[in-house]
Amino acid sequence: MAKKYELNEVEVWDGNMAAAHALRQADIDIVAAYPITPSTPIVQNYSKFLADGYVDGEFIMVESEHSAMSGCVAASAAGVRAATATSSQGFALMVEVLYQASGMRLPIVLTVVNRALAAPLNVNGDHSDMYLGRDAGWINLCSYNPQEAYDLTLMAFRIGEDLNVRLPVMVHQDGFICSHTAQNVRPLQDEEAREFVGEFKPVNSMLDVANPVTHGVQTEEDWHFEHKARQHNDLMNSMKTINEVFAEFKDRTGREYTPVYTYKMDDADVAIFALGTTVESARIAADQMRQKGIKAGVVSLRVLRPFPFKEVQEVLSNVKAVATLDRSAPGGTFGMLFNEISAALLAGGKKPVVLNYIYGLGGRDTTINMLKEVYEDLDKCAKAGEAVVPLQQFLGLRGPKLSFY
Amino acid sequence: MAKDLKEIKDIEEIKELGWDELLPGAALFSFREPVEDVAEIPMEERPYAPTNSHEWQVGDWRVEKPVYNRDYCIDCQFCWVFCPDMSILSRDKKMIGVVYEHCKGCGICVEVCPTNPKSLLMFPEHMDNQEALAMWPKKEEKK
Amino acid sequence: MLEIRWHSRAGQGAVTGAKGLADVVANTGKYVQAFAFYGSAKRGAAMTAYNRVDEQPILNHEKFMRPDYVLVIDPGLTYTADITANEKENTKYIITTHLSKEELIKSQPKLEGKEVYVVDCMQISLDTIGRAIPNAPMLGALMKVSGMFDLDYFKGAMKKVLSKFPQKIIDANMAAIERAYNEVH
Repeated sequence: MAKKYELNEVEVWDGNMAAAHALRQADIDIVAAYPITPSTPIVQNYSKFLADGYVDGEFIMVESEHSAMSGCVAASAAGVRAATATSSQGFALMVEVLYQASGMRLPIVLTVVNRALAAPLNVNGDHSDMYLGRDAGWINLCSYNPQEAYDLTLMAFRIGEDLNVRLPVMVHQDGFICSHTAQNVRPLQDEEAREFVGEFKPVNSMLDVANPVTHGVQTEEDWHFEHKARQHNDLMNSMKTINEVFAEFKDRTGREYTPVYTYKMDDADVAIFALGTTVESARIAADQMRQKGIKAGVVSLRVLRPFPFKEVQEVLSNVKAVATLDRSAPGGTFGMLFNEISAALLAGGKKPVVLNYIYGLGGRDTTINMLKEVYEDLDKCAKAGEAVVPLQQFLGLRGPKLSFY
Repeated sequence: MAKDLKEIKDIEEIKELGWDELLPGAALFSFREPVEDVAEIPMEERPYAPTNSHEWQVGDWRVEKPVYNRDYCIDCQFCWVFCPDMSILSRDKKMIGVVYEHCKGCGICVEVCPTNPKSLLMFPEHMDNQEALAMWPKKEEKK
Repeated sequence: MLEIRWHSRAGQGAVTGAKGLADVVANTGKYVQAFAFYGSAKRGAAMTAYNRVDEQPILNHEKFMRPDYVLVIDPGLTYTADITANEKENTKYIITTHLSKEELIKSQPKLEGKEVYVVDCMQISLDTIGRAIPNAPMLGALMKVSGMFDLDYFKGAMKKVLSKFPQKIIDANMAAIERAYNEVH
């Protein structure tokens, strides 16, 4: 039996420590990991907890991230709780196995500390890895600070392991800006956290030797389409469970989570739509714009996948202009948020001005002043009733202004 | 809700399952019901599920078939170990014969057979086994 | 919002110092942030660490900061790092040096006319802890200059933060904090 870890009501944890404690409290059977900056401390802290007797499970050091996720797939198919952590290049190496995990319907939890993808080599935060894996069939939860990284990691187990879901879950946090920034965190005590997460319920376990089962089968055109459809259907419907788990967590902690995060959107004319720590910085910019008489709000996706299509339509139904901020190089098109938010708006019959800003790549600082510039652009567009600035701009970039369309 | 594949009797029925009837994750079960200590239950008595490859007959893929000759067999079990299709029947470490429903005719059993002459040899699919046994070669002298 | 920037060399304990300070402040019910710029941090490379302290939850995640306090815990960085970057009119500087305040300002004229405090954190840490880990004495000096907490309260709180260390190390850190508190001027 693992030792109880004495926790204060308020701890000062960075996002990595917060995620590591959530993993410790979740009673994971197998963590298979290959550490990589900036998520290294998650694995490092977890293995120290294990060495000090605070964890009952096994820790498997593997030779690559591909093997780390493969180890988790094997453990989960065998019928136990499995989790790991990664970032950037490690995430990229894991991608093949991410699709295996979701296709095999294994409720693995992956804490992703978002970092830029090379080249050029860069250890700092952006959302390149998050965007790379967004279609891998996993539930994607996004945090903006260490408290949320902790909360969402605990909730990830409940959501993924629910018998109506049985899908793997990623919990994202910004590299360094969240992962290495210590802030106030109110953790659950060990017994409360364990009670909330609950016992792992094996489904079609390979270790159930009386019921031999084959995982990782081959299907061709006969069954593949039906299996992928089933997987998509269950991912789409997982929003119900996500909302239930969010509600139960609120009952226990008072901390409220919703699939779409909003700040001052009730009367907003203009809105910044972003992910990660930028969401909180944008709140400060929005408040400052409101002092100048501009009705500014902030929107974000707490749940990136399944995409909360209806909720996004609803929350943006009255805005005049919205800026989608993508922290990932778009590779020859608009950023992901621009495309998905535009599609949701168009399908809902709304046509506010939608702008796209590419920002913060490789950890480039995102200042309150930059975010205020975005609101100034939005205000101009809202007043003109049309886009009076380029649709895609690069924010905080040196050199001549770069924009398209 | 997914149909319990263990309940399905007919292989053809599986081929027609819709997306909403499949077991999530494409897991396939071997047996219709729990089997404790499967090693103690003879193959023909195991409650194979239709998703087990035991229920899928691939014997008609064969061009040549292995024929077994008890006279020379030393029950070394090499053929049983190496057969990729579990088509060698053995009971209590005694070789019984070939399951022609599953044998694809790969010839590995013949390749690994250590006796002289071999106790398993490939013959044309259409040849009668008695006819094959009658023309079994003699012991090969060492050169 | 109170904002602090640390100038340090990787390995001198600025991050630990910033986190220790955050721990102490958080125990009083305030909200804190502690972070650092890493880059390819090799031991000895110049680096900066940061604290934010507020009565409200801290939402600002920009790295840009106009510091209220600049803490320089390595003597050489006064001359090689941009310690006055983004300063405010009333930014206070607490600088590790063996020089007197007058000698220091003469040697680094850009500190002229600013509110500068000096303390020899290097010598203090060598004398008390036995190694050049100048973070704890800097915290003692900060307490004196800022009046954030009185010495006894702060020492008590730091003892809790350091509770996992051997008693000898805790005692040495307490001595370092106290000496810097008394010597900074």
